[in-house]
Amino acid sequence: MTETTNTAPESRATSAGKRGVPAWVQIIVWGLLIALLAIVFVGLRRAQQGTVQPGDKIPDFTLPLFSGYEYEGRSEVKLSDFRGKVVVLNFWASWCKPCEQEAAELQEAWQFYEPDGKVVFLGADYVDTEPEARVYLKKFGITFANGPDMGTKISQMFRIKGVPETYFIDQNGVLQYVKVGPFSSVDEIKSIIDGLLK
Amino acid sequence: MLAEFGYGVLMVSFIVALYSVGAAIFGVRNKSDAVIESARRAMLLTFPLISLSAATLIYLLVNNHYEVAFVYEVTSRSMPTYLKVTAWWGGQAGSLVFWSWLLSAFASAVTLRKWDRDREFLPWVIVVTAITLAFFLGMVVFYENPFARYWQDINGQLITRIDGQLLTSVFTPVIGATTFIPDDGQGLNPLLRHPGMVIHPPMLYLGFVSFVIPYAFAIAALVTGRTDDRWIRLTRRWSLWAWLFLSFGLVLGGRWAYDVLGWGGYWGWDPVEIAAFMPWLTGTAFLHSVMIQEKRGLLKHWNMVLVILTYALVIFGTFLTRSGVLSSVHAFAQSAIGPLFFAFIGITFITSISLLIWRWPELRGETEMKSMLSREALFLLNNLLFMSVLVVCFWGVIFPLISELATGAKVTVGPPFYERATAPLFAALMFLMGIAPLSAWGHSTLNTLGRAIWKSALAALFLTVVLFAVYTKNLIALIAFFLIALVLFVTMQEFWRATRARQRAQDENFFTALARLIGRSRRRYGGYIIHISMMLMAIGILGIEIFQTETQGTVAVGESLDISGYTVEYKELANWDVPVRGNPQVNYTRAAVSIFKGGVYLGELYPRKDYYYDSQQNMTIPGNRSTLRDDLYVLLVDWQPISANGATFKIYVNPLVNWLWIGSLLFLFGVIIAAWPDKDPEQEPVRVNKRARQMSAAD
Repeated sequence: MTETTNTAPESRATSAGKRGVPAWVQIIVWGLLIALLAIVFVGLRRAQQGTVQPGDKIPDFTLPLFSGYEYEGRSEVKLSDFRGKVVVLNFWASWCKPCEQEAAELQEAWQFYEPDGKVVFLGADYVDTEPEARVYLKKFGITFANGPDMGTKISQMFRIKGVPETYFIDQNGVLQYVKVGPFSSVDEIKSIIDGLLK
Repeated sequence: MLAEFGYGVLMVSFIVALYSVGAAIFGVRNKSDAVIESARRAMLLTFPLISLSAATLIYLLVNNHYEVAFVYEVTSRSMPTYLKVTAWWGGQAGSLVFWSWLLSAFASAVTLRKWDRDREFLPWVIVVTAITLAFFLGMVVFYENPFARYWQDINGQLITRIDGQLLTSVFTPVIGATTFIPDDGQGLNPLLRHPGMVIHPPMLYLGFVSFVIPYAFAIAALVTGRTDDRWIRLTRRWSLWAWLFLSFGLVLGGRWAYDVLGWGGYWGWDPVEIAAFMPWLTGTAFLHSVMIQEKRGLLKHWNMVLVILTYALVIFGTFLTRSGVLSSVHAFAQSAIGPLFFAFIGITFITSISLLIWRWPELRGETEMKSMLSREALFLLNNLLFMSVLVVCFWGVIFPLISELATGAKVTVGPPFYERATAPLFAALMFLMGIAPLSAWGHSTLNTLGRAIWKSALAALFLTVVLFAVYTKNLIALIAFFLIALVLFVTMQEFWRATRARQRAQDENFFTALARLIGRSRRRYGGYIIHISMMLMAIGILGIEIFQTETQGTVAVGESLDISGYTVEYKELANWDVPVRGNPQVNYTRAAVSIFKGGVYLGELYPRKDYYYDSQQNMTIPGNRSTLRDDLYVLLVDWQPISANGATFKIYVNPLVNWLWIGSLLFLFGVIIAAWPDKDPEQEPVRVNKRARQMSAAD
């Protein structure tokens, strides 16, 4: 049986009147494979760049806000509006189950810091539709400023890898801490913010 | 000392695996059985070697050797010993060792079998398994070292890398440096301390790893040109066991999510879940289509494609999860193994496709399909449906990468996409599950099928009407219930018919006849039991997907929340520390709630929030009242610590979800019946095998 290894299969195949894979099918298969590998390669490159690093100065961005979730009556906010305040930027989506784990905690933390006015919470709704986002916000009783990340501009700037992710930006607009995945407790959020308030 | 030893042994295993690859290829080239035998022994040697290294790692884990970075990251003093052992697969580096260990165990088992009649396969099976093993060992040896330690210089200063992170290495990085031993470790993520999580990863890994074996045989068949059914017969049971482990791993993961994650669900269409689900889809398709090759000599190409695809998806899925390309709750931390993994995937895919194209002409079918309603045609349709589900899943996983490439924005698709796209496909699969067992190999007509099915269809329709009257008016649910009932009735009727026939022919009582019937054709009736179990699981999935209701509210002691006929009354809240060896390990906050339905008191539930001091993480433990009709699933979301009289609860009612777990147990039973070894059929002479095949084809 080992002999079969050495016989040229092409000649055997043609003598048996059998045909191989048509050239166009081969081209498609290899083309798809190369495309897949290329896509994954680019994805890998991006993954290795990672997110924005703590210590980076964050460029200014604008977040439009859902009506009912405005910030002090403004329907649009800029990061530069909040110099002197700690900004907690949370990326979320209504379809994101892990986000639900931290929704109540975020809201509780917001209520804790709201009276002092030294901390701003911003929710950036990532790849979502407004009606569904509203249902989500209502369900968890969220009151802090929330708006859609239009064209995923902000999330691209932060190179987020998914939702939820939360970015803590200090009084000078410098990123200080990144949380990937949901918070497990209010204390966790508070300890990060308290460290920035000092 | 131990760390160096463990690392050294791993290094040796890596070299032995490489040697095994080289020797096997050299042996084939030079037609030297002695060299091939040497390759086989090298393969066998990897198992004790990796076991030794793993034992060293476990020793370090159990005995609090926190100077080892991996031990520091996944264990802490307060963890019980069994969790310290299972922390082995609680992090990237350890789980890669675990994976290698399982692979070498399987590869050794397969090389230990008698190879008399399949000698030409042996070297190539060794080549494929040893390359895979060497690759995984290489990742451990060069990138993700579980034995790397922390170091301090002579002045007691911790040694760091340029980027400020702590430097870890097995050997002394600078002269005079000593290991730095932290007092205590960070501890395993509390989410991973659940019994389900202790066995969920090993099950999945077992499933993944055991699919390497059918792939190795398929490649061996392609390389040697022995492209008959032999490789399929040799690997049939491997595929079944692999499929069992994978399926069970998936179900355990779902159960774990339900118990621990606290979002009232079991499956979130998370990229990593899909990564494990995709090889399951191709594996399931493969299990069905091999039968067509065995019985009818058809679909030889297709089976090759499926087994290669399954292996590719296993590797690809592992890559996506571990390289940080996709983000998910399951993803491991940022890792350096991405590029190496990428290269391995490229080589695997290109080699497999080249071999397949090369041997394509020799894989022609022996007959043709005659009837669109024959069993082989229906099996083919089943395969196409599984492939469609795969395409949906694959697209969902890869789409964020494509969209990022095309538009610069990473657009993730969510569960609604998967649910909408796969629901009709699953419905069609259920319908096929209903009619395929009734069709005959070779030829069936609408007439024969109709005669076989009408009773079951009528009964299913009747049941659906009853459900419409008393349970639900939801159209999708009713269609699904009809299909479930149809499959259940058809399958049970098959059992009934065959048992009655045997009872008459053999003069046995009903249960003896049933038991012997199943014993005689285990694969067939094991398969039917699996079908039934799938339908029970479908009932559970339907219940939670369509009928789940939820509410959330903050109540004071004595107040209550209402949901779907239940009343949940908040009674009290308690908070205490749970010490382990004198140190508080966990802080429990437990609420007690009374459950009423229609004014009748049903009992108390105790939803909890556990706070783990070592890892500073919370865990939400639901209070769950589970019945066959529904689950009342209560989560303690929040509470006011000072007055302790207001607490926020989230409550789900998950109808029928228990059937999901009942179904999975029956599923286990069915696969074991189907996969239980015969009196080693592989050893029987070919002719007997052929006759047996004709006989079974006749039934």
